[in-house]
Amino acid sequence: MFLVFVGFFLLFTFLSPEMRFVRPDNLRILLTDGSEFSIVVLGVGLLMICGEFDLSVGSILVFCSFLFIRLFQGGVNLFASLAAALAAGAAVGFLNGIITVKGRIPSFITTLGTMMFWRGITLLLSEGFTAAFDQGQSARFTAFLTGEVGGIVPVQALWFVGIALALGVVLHFHRFGNWVYATGGNLAAARAMGIRTDLVKIACFTIVGILCAFVGVTQAVRVSSFFSRAGDGWELKAVAASVVGATALMGGRGSMAAIFLGALVISIIENALVMLRITYFWTYMVFGFVIIASLLFRTWLEKSRPGR
Amino acid sequence: MEKDSTDLVRMVGIRKWFGKVQALKGVDFDVRHAEVVGLLGDNGAGKSTLIKILSGYHTRDEGEIFVEGRKVSFSSPRQARELGIETVYQEQALVPYMSIARNIFMGREPAGVLGFMKRKDMNAQGMAALEKIDLHLRSPDTLIEMLSGGERQGVAIARALHFKAKLVILDEPTVALSIKESQQVLEFIQQLKKEGVAAIFITHNLHHVHPIADRFVVLNRGVKVADVLREEASIETLSQLIVSPPAQGI
Repeated sequence: MFLVFVGFFLLFTFLSPEMRFVRPDNLRILLTDGSEFSIVVLGVGLLMICGEFDLSVGSILVFCSFLFIRLFQGGVNLFASLAAALAAGAAVGFLNGIITVKGRIPSFITTLGTMMFWRGITLLLSEGFTAAFDQGQSARFTAFLTGEVGGIVPVQALWFVGIALALGVVLHFHRFGNWVYATGGNLAAARAMGIRTDLVKIACFTIVGILCAFVGVTQAVRVSSFFSRAGDGWELKAVAASVVGATALMGGRGSMAAIFLGALVISIIENALVMLRITYFWTYMVFGFVIIASLLFRTWLEKSRPGR
Repeated sequence: MEKDSTDLVRMVGIRKWFGKVQALKGVDFDVRHAEVVGLLGDNGAGKSTLIKILSGYHTRDEGEIFVEGRKVSFSSPRQARELGIETVYQEQALVPYMSIARNIFMGREPAGVLGFMKRKDMNAQGMAALEKIDLHLRSPDTLIEMLSGGERQGVAIARALHFKAKLVILDEPTVALSIKESQQVLEFIQQLKKEGVAAIFITHNLHHVHPIADRFVVLNRGVKVADVLREEASIETLSQLIVSPPAQGI
């Protein structure tokens, strides 16, 4: 997987006219935009390992970013607004989890519904407008979420790496991580062994919600405004990134490192397509190609691995 | 047969209905310490229901259960496990893409205060558990999907043994296995006995269970029609008891 990543990176470096890809400006965009997207992918990938999907990620994002802006405009302190947005994200994620698990509805359907519901509510309440956000208010807060370390590395990238590390450690070394793999790999077995699979799934949904809220706020602060189309289309891109990152659609397989790389690959591809001046419409085709190609590649790899 | 304090588990007068259908019509069933009991019966005889009651999946409608002389009442697999009753399922309740060690300790991972797994302990204890039933596998990190059917059953049995089961219930453990793999599983069960663990072996395959069981219990349409020591009944007699209607039982 790592080789693929390096391969892509080199490919695009050479393909872009005048080596535009590696120029600092572009790298900065990649690291901010890409990192924001990738943080969401971390959550989606985790959820996929435990066997569920979340199509509502874009909607949670936009709803929480709206909530954040509204609260702040209403005079609420920045950090409190952030906390509220995170709490809202957690609550929405939790709701996704409860409906899926207790209502026994496939998560695909549940989150399809909540995706439309939350974006709908946001559009309704915001009346489709774009709100401006004055970030002069608190430089420290802004820097916390969107600044740059040493003037070079966008702080989003650090958040991405930090969250990836934290989730990775939990997934691979903590007993909860074992429960996530068990729940996704063989639900009946996990339950037979006394693992509370319902709680595991709900926890994963909640984590996704929190991460979406976090990115929603970060985006709002970065572009100094709220726009109602934020996060649109992210759900499928996030699943794509997870799949590319070797997470099985069935659940039970995958690793945080792989999800991390998958997110990077998709971000790089998207960025590169823009760099190469390829029309936006081709993007979807390329993504589709990448997903199928990476699945085929992985299947081929497994078949040719020396058997037991 | 004396029903005395050497009984590990004693079930008395168990009745169970599913809607209008009576699956168990007053069955007495007991197991001694370190005894291998073959529970036989055709489809619908009630053997699955009986052991599901014993492993906590179903609750009995009538009757009593005693474990080591104490009357007990439990309603979940977890409670059954706490009493020392473990079940090995046909599909082994194992996760294919996880390692042996992770599977053995699934849900019961040894962990520090913050919940981080003690992987070294898991690996060492996991291998030790396998050794106890004479199952020699190379590494605790091997994924379950890499193992044969017999080896997987072995892991499930080793798991039950490790968690100090006093009684292991095996529900059709050899049904999907090759002859060689079945042989392997039968040997594991004999190792269980050497470790002082009792076993209930449910099967359709009399030839598998006959050599290793101490005693046979035959159910037929919810009624116990035989409870005999191995020496007292041949395979033919037992087959006869399984298929013919209860009224003609011993």
